Amino acid sequence: KQWYQRRVREAKRQRKQFKVMVVDSRPDLTGVASCERLTAAGIPCSYVYINSCTYIMKKVTKVLLASDALLANGYVLGPVGTAMIGLIASNYNTPVIVCCETYKFSERVQTDSILYNELADPDSMLKTLNADDSLVAGWRESPNTRLVNLVYDTTPPALVSIVITEIAELPCTSAPVVLR
Amino acid sequence: AVVSTQSTGKKISKDTVSRLEEFALYLRESKKERRSYVSVVKTVNVFRDLICTSEWVTARELIKIIKSYCKYLPLSQSNETDVSNVVRRILKIIREENAGSEATSFADGLSSFFKSDMKASSIGRPDLQDNILNSIVELLSELETSKSNIINMALEHIHSNERILTFGHSNTVRDFLLHGRKARDFEVIVCESGPSLKGHKMAAELSDGGIKTTVIPDSSAFAIIHAVNKVIIGTHTIMADGALRAPNGVHQLAMAAKYFSVPVIVCAAVYKLSPTHLCSYDPDAFNKVIGPENMLNFSNEKLHSKVLISNPDFDYVPSDFIELFITNTGGHAPSYLYRIISELYHPEDYDLDNMCVEAVEDDICI
Repeated sequence: KQWYQRRVREAKRQRKQFKVMVVDSRPDLTGVASCERLTAAGIPCSYVYINSCTYIMKKVTKVLLASDALLANGYVLGPVGTAMIGLIASNYNTPVIVCCETYKFSERVQTDSILYNELADPDSMLKTLNADDSLVAGWRESPNTRLVNLVYDTTPPALVSIVITEIAELPCTSAPVVLR
Repeated sequence: AVVSTQSTGKKISKDTVSRLEEFALYLRESKKERRSYVSVVKTVNVFRDLICTSEWVTARELIKIIKSYCKYLPLSQSNETDVSNVVRRILKIIREENAGSEATSFADGLSSFFKSDMKASSIGRPDLQDNILNSIVELLSELETSKSNIINMALEHIHSNERILTFGHSNTVRDFLLHGRKARDFEVIVCESGPSLKGHKMAAELSDGGIKTTVIPDSSAFAIIHAVNKVIIGTHTIMADGALRAPNGVHQLAMAAKYFSVPVIVCAAVYKLSPTHLCSYDPDAFNKVIGPENMLNFSNEKLHSKVLISNPDFDYVPSDFIELFITNTGGHAPSYLYRIISELYHPEDYDLDNMCVEAVEDDICI
């Protein structure tokens, strides 16, 4: 999962003091690259996996999420895990800010994450950071095992506080208005 | 090495001392996963030994001896709650046998739960010891049958063509699901469970047992949970109010389940039920933070020493997210657990460090 770096670096240039917690998830671990860029820009960072999100959420004041699309019914299509973070943040009453350019707005509507999604390479889930092989490494031979690696998930608009676009700051439900 | 108490000069034999030290070492060294059941049975055997071989005349003295020994065990570590719980069961057995025919009955009402008297009983040591040892044998057989009691309820909770979501690895849940498979056909989705990837082990075991299993990364849990019928998880500890100390990532899974009104069922034996409450989320008091070598490579120099990496081992799951506990004593709602605690443990033993007032000067030194 990635956090929206440009905004964060802009804030740093303005000399605001803040810390960033990067929440990452397997199997892609894109958060490591985010962390590297943020650290290089001089922003103090913490790094956790998405499992620990509830552990850190009470220390977090704002959640910044990137998105891949904003659907016409207000649902945010983002990298998988976005919805989970939105849910945890709303349980802890932390504002959730989604960054989305207007070219990502879509007239499609969708209420759940499975109906329309992409499957990434399942074998990437077998990567482990220590030397041992994953115990399901032989999954293709086993008739009962399947690995599912979703790429996207949809976040309901109730879990998002605001969407920041290049033209305005909007609630999620204003997506169809902008599309017109 | 002879163990003696300071004031009364009672001695414990060398054999027992070596067994006690071995047990303390076993607990301290359990950095790797150890099966709850194995350590619980070990605990009972060690304490049974201590009861037989140490010198005591009254039950009060015996309890003092046991609590003094507990000071040498790393029981305050969050890993050891099952051991503490079993020690509390043994202490309750001792108190009950001592009370004998004057056992607290329901006629005394709720205040009897809080009475802390230890009457000087008319039962002498030989009889008292026999009664205690008999009860301990019953405790051992209860521990032995705890898992089979839980898994026998599988057919009441799993129906055909269901999709069940589980998290990480749990021996109890695995056997529960495998038992259900004997009569029903259903599918299981397993969350990988973060840096340790214990979910992979669970998936391998379930699919070897003939259950159609799908492995998903933890981040996808919200995406698929609306399509799941129920969530069945195991836990490390059950707190006194029905909350859980569960592997990291279960809290968010339970939150997602509640959002979509998917019931969360916890399978755990009653020796995991601990009469303690959450006092703080800090790693020292509740959680345990383990090394991040499974999260990020040490070879990453750009991040090395610049980034704070947290890898907590446990998660606190409040009781509002749990629908049902399936234990060896049956199925219980989280609101009923306080009754089970009052039956299993005595209020004076909730805090194992708390010795009775007279016991402060008396101490076993090793």
